[in-house]
Amino acid sequence: MNWPFGMDILVKINDLKKVYQTGAVIYEALKGVSLDIARGDFVAIMGHSGSGKSTLLNLIGGLDQPTAGSVRIGEYVLNEMNETALAKFRRAHVGFVFQFFNLIDNLTVQANVELPALLAGKKDKKTIRNDSSELLDGLGIAAQAQKHPWELSGGEQQRVAIARALINNPTLLLADEPTGNLDSASSQDVLAILSKCHQWEQTILMVTHDPLAAAIAHRILFIHDGRIVGTMPGGDARAIAQRLTDLR
Amino acid sequence: MNAVWQKIKADIISRPLISILITVTIVTSSALLTLALATLMNISAPYDQSFEELNGAHVWLHFDRAKIGLRDIERIEALPGIVASTGLRYHVQSRARIRDTRVWTSLRATSPEAPSVNRLLIQEGRHLAPHQTELLASKDLDDLYRLSVGETIRLTRSDGKEIDLPVIGLAYNPMWDTYRNSQPPYIYLSKELLRELFPDESTWGWSMGLRLEDPESVEEMVTQIETLLHSDVVESYTDWRDVRDSALFGAKLNFVFLGAFSSFAILATVLVIASSISSIVLSQFRQIGILKAIGFTQGQILWLYLGQYLLLSLIGSPLGLLLGLALSPLPLKSVAVSLSTTFHPPLNGLLVLLVMGLISGMVILATLGAAYRGARANIIRSIAIGAEPPRKKTSWGTRAATRLGLPMVLILGLNEVFARPFRSLMTGLNLTLGVIGIVFGLTLNDTLDTYRADPSLLGIVYDAAVTRDRTSDRKTRHLLEHVPGVEAFYGEHMIDVETIQGQSFQMRAVEGDLAAFPFRISEGRFFQPNTHEAIAGRGLLDWLGLKVGDELTITFQDKENRPVSWRIVGEYPEPVNMGQMLMVSLPTAARWDRQVEPHTYFLKLTPDCDTAQLKQYLAPRPDADLNVRLVGEALPDAVFYLQLAIFALAAILIGIALVNVFNTSLLAMQEKVRTIGVLKTVGMTPAQVMIMINTTAAFLGLAATGVGIPLGFTLTKSLLASLSVTYGFGKVNVALGLFYVLPLIPLMVVISMVGSIIPGQRAAQLSIVKVLRNE
Repeated sequence: MNWPFGMDILVKINDLKKVYQTGAVIYEALKGVSLDIARGDFVAIMGHSGSGKSTLLNLIGGLDQPTAGSVRIGEYVLNEMNETALAKFRRAHVGFVFQFFNLIDNLTVQANVELPALLAGKKDKKTIRNDSSELLDGLGIAAQAQKHPWELSGGEQQRVAIARALINNPTLLLADEPTGNLDSASSQDVLAILSKCHQWEQTILMVTHDPLAAAIAHRILFIHDGRIVGTMPGGDARAIAQRLTDLR
Repeated sequence: MNAVWQKIKADIISRPLISILITVTIVTSSALLTLALATLMNISAPYDQSFEELNGAHVWLHFDRAKIGLRDIERIEALPGIVASTGLRYHVQSRARIRDTRVWTSLRATSPEAPSVNRLLIQEGRHLAPHQTELLASKDLDDLYRLSVGETIRLTRSDGKEIDLPVIGLAYNPMWDTYRNSQPPYIYLSKELLRELFPDESTWGWSMGLRLEDPESVEEMVTQIETLLHSDVVESYTDWRDVRDSALFGAKLNFVFLGAFSSFAILATVLVIASSISSIVLSQFRQIGILKAIGFTQGQILWLYLGQYLLLSLIGSPLGLLLGLALSPLPLKSVAVSLSTTFHPPLNGLLVLLVMGLISGMVILATLGAAYRGARANIIRSIAIGAEPPRKKTSWGTRAATRLGLPMVLILGLNEVFARPFRSLMTGLNLTLGVIGIVFGLTLNDTLDTYRADPSLLGIVYDAAVTRDRTSDRKTRHLLEHVPGVEAFYGEHMIDVETIQGQSFQMRAVEGDLAAFPFRISEGRFFQPNTHEAIAGRGLLDWLGLKVGDELTITFQDKENRPVSWRIVGEYPEPVNMGQMLMVSLPTAARWDRQVEPHTYFLKLTPDCDTAQLKQYLAPRPDADLNVRLVGEALPDAVFYLQLAIFALAAILIGIALVNVFNTSLLAMQEKVRTIGVLKTVGMTPAQVMIMINTTAAFLGLAATGVGIPLGFTLTKSLLASLSVTYGFGKVNVALGLFYVLPLIPLMVVISMVGSIIPGQRAAQLSIVKVLRNE
């Protein structure tokens, strides 16, 4: 893919392959994906179930290692890093938002948000507390700071997850079906937050099969059967939906 | 039921390590239970076996020589209820020298042919041969003086001359009471030899052993004999049941400790099973929901879990039973060895039934709560949430750790302790049991060290003892006053006394520089010399139902018409005769019996005393009349082995606790696999995951020492105090030094962390993608 001259490329993926083997059954989830994502870009990855979109997201996030090919995020070559280095990379440079929020039930909202910063141990506790309060305030859930996740609505829980993802000022925000478990009002709220993040020049990579969600992205990549089969700009949910249908 | 059985098999096979470890704990607790029960059920069996093989006498009568004739012996033998008799037996008390030690012994005439009643058990060498000038020594001479077959014993004849005689064998007499130290060791010889050494037969003591139709009717038989002869011809008698109790002392002590530890092991196994099943039910909550959705009833779910553990107990308890039976001769070994027998407790139906029943009951008890909770689970919630939600509020422990500013990884580890309080309690209790076991052994060790360092706590207030025979009291005192290295001494004469009610015991009559000796008075005070004040051992007070301040009237055994009263003014630790001893002023006792004068002298030595020189001065030649004995410092073998056994049992408890830490850490890891996945996603490194899991275990280990050390010390103190009271010793000074306690704290933390290493590693290696995909 060609980029305008001078654009800073953050994510560079080259001929990425991922093969899963369960007993004698071999499954090729990714069959040679190459992709560049610029710093500050908001990319949505769309595809049907089993197309390989979540596998691609996991490899970009350093949650898994590819079978072949390379993933470079800035100066980090993820496929050459060990488990510990990947963990340190994730905590410093990647923020994750999941469909099922994945918050720790018996920690307060604020403690959940502060968790990655405390694990990183780079900032003092006072700074972390200020950062988390600021984030919670910015996402409209400051009043819930001392509550536990199970006391919040789904939308509120997803905002907490976003706050947690942003606490370490990540280079890359990865969202896997962030609206998949929310009602439409909550979905709109979450998408608005992601748009706001994009305005703050946060690089975002979002996996979704919801055209409305994908429409807020700057660019949409379509993935089918382990390969990137197309791209289009965001904005028009109807056109995106049509393109997705055409993939079948 | 077929479906339940299929699922039981699948569950056991899918968790092979946990199933094996639980089976191992069941095997261990079954083995310990079998050991304790087999010891209890067969505690007297080795003795009974020997007693029957030797056709032991049920009662041994010691006659007053002046009041009995041969006709009376025949009349006794003809009494109904007497099955057989040993016939009249003769004995003489004499001094003997074994190497350089002089001891009082009882020379017993015996025929070379084995008698029909109360045969001797030859443990080494052979029986006496006809017309030979030789001796057969009792086995305790080997225990006390390491006497072996082939050595000679120098006996003092009635004319004062000494004669060396060879020892041709060592024998055990089923009616020799090993406990009461008033009974001197026996040396057997032929009647001809006894006559040669002590020609005046009127000086021979008479005694006779009887085998009774009803072994329990000893007292009735003695009363019958006294009634028949219309006089008090029976000076004293030995009851076979007392001899048996003495012989079984060690085995009873073994049973007390085994009983305590097997109860601990059973409790530990209950905790292992309870915490494991509780974790398994939690981790299978979604599965339970699915099973119920496809038609499993509540009862079937209940059976699913009960069945798994009952099956493991059906595999484990017979193995434990066999292991326990294989080890069961060990606690009874001391009795069996002293009787030169080999004894193996038989496999009896009651034992099998008890072990299997108790272990199965324990398994049901441990399983029922969690199984019932699983059976009652709500289907929709189980399937939707996948697990019974943990305690959701942030615990005080986690809040405190946060306030203390601990690193996040440690806080998350602590959080797990409080998130599942029941499981943590089970594991913590298990570790606590292990700590109690170790503290038990350490306390015993430290207490023994304390007593070894200060023998006065045991009532041994002297450094050396000197006994005399022909040398006069005056000359002995003169020697002791001038010998270098002796700081102070007091003399003692042991007197056989009897209460008005006929209870006989021994009294120490003492005089000398008593104030120089550190007598320990646990209650009241020491007696004033030359008064009718006395101090008593705890055993005597308990036996006679007396207390400090009471008056005790007694008669000296050969001055029965002159009762004398003593006011008990204090209690002291009396190490012998189960504490059934009295100590009085010798000059006062001498007013009733002029023959009372010291034969034993207890010395306090100066710190720089040359003991070899002291021995040389007092007993320059091997045949010297004075005998010097220093207070031994060696720990008896029995105590050493008991300590070893306690540490071994404590190690078993620690092993069970390790299994529990492992199982619960592993199951906790499986249950919160999603949380670990999330934590890894947000940047927790594998090392941090390990630290988090280890923190949970380390905290439980730390808490276990906090509870286990004081609890173990208190339990040990109570047990030793109760044993001490039972055996008449009185107050026991239990000690446990910081030197022992402090290393125990990091040790337990490390031990519990070891148990969580493998689960921690598994958690650290967990694939985030697989976890997230499984959602």
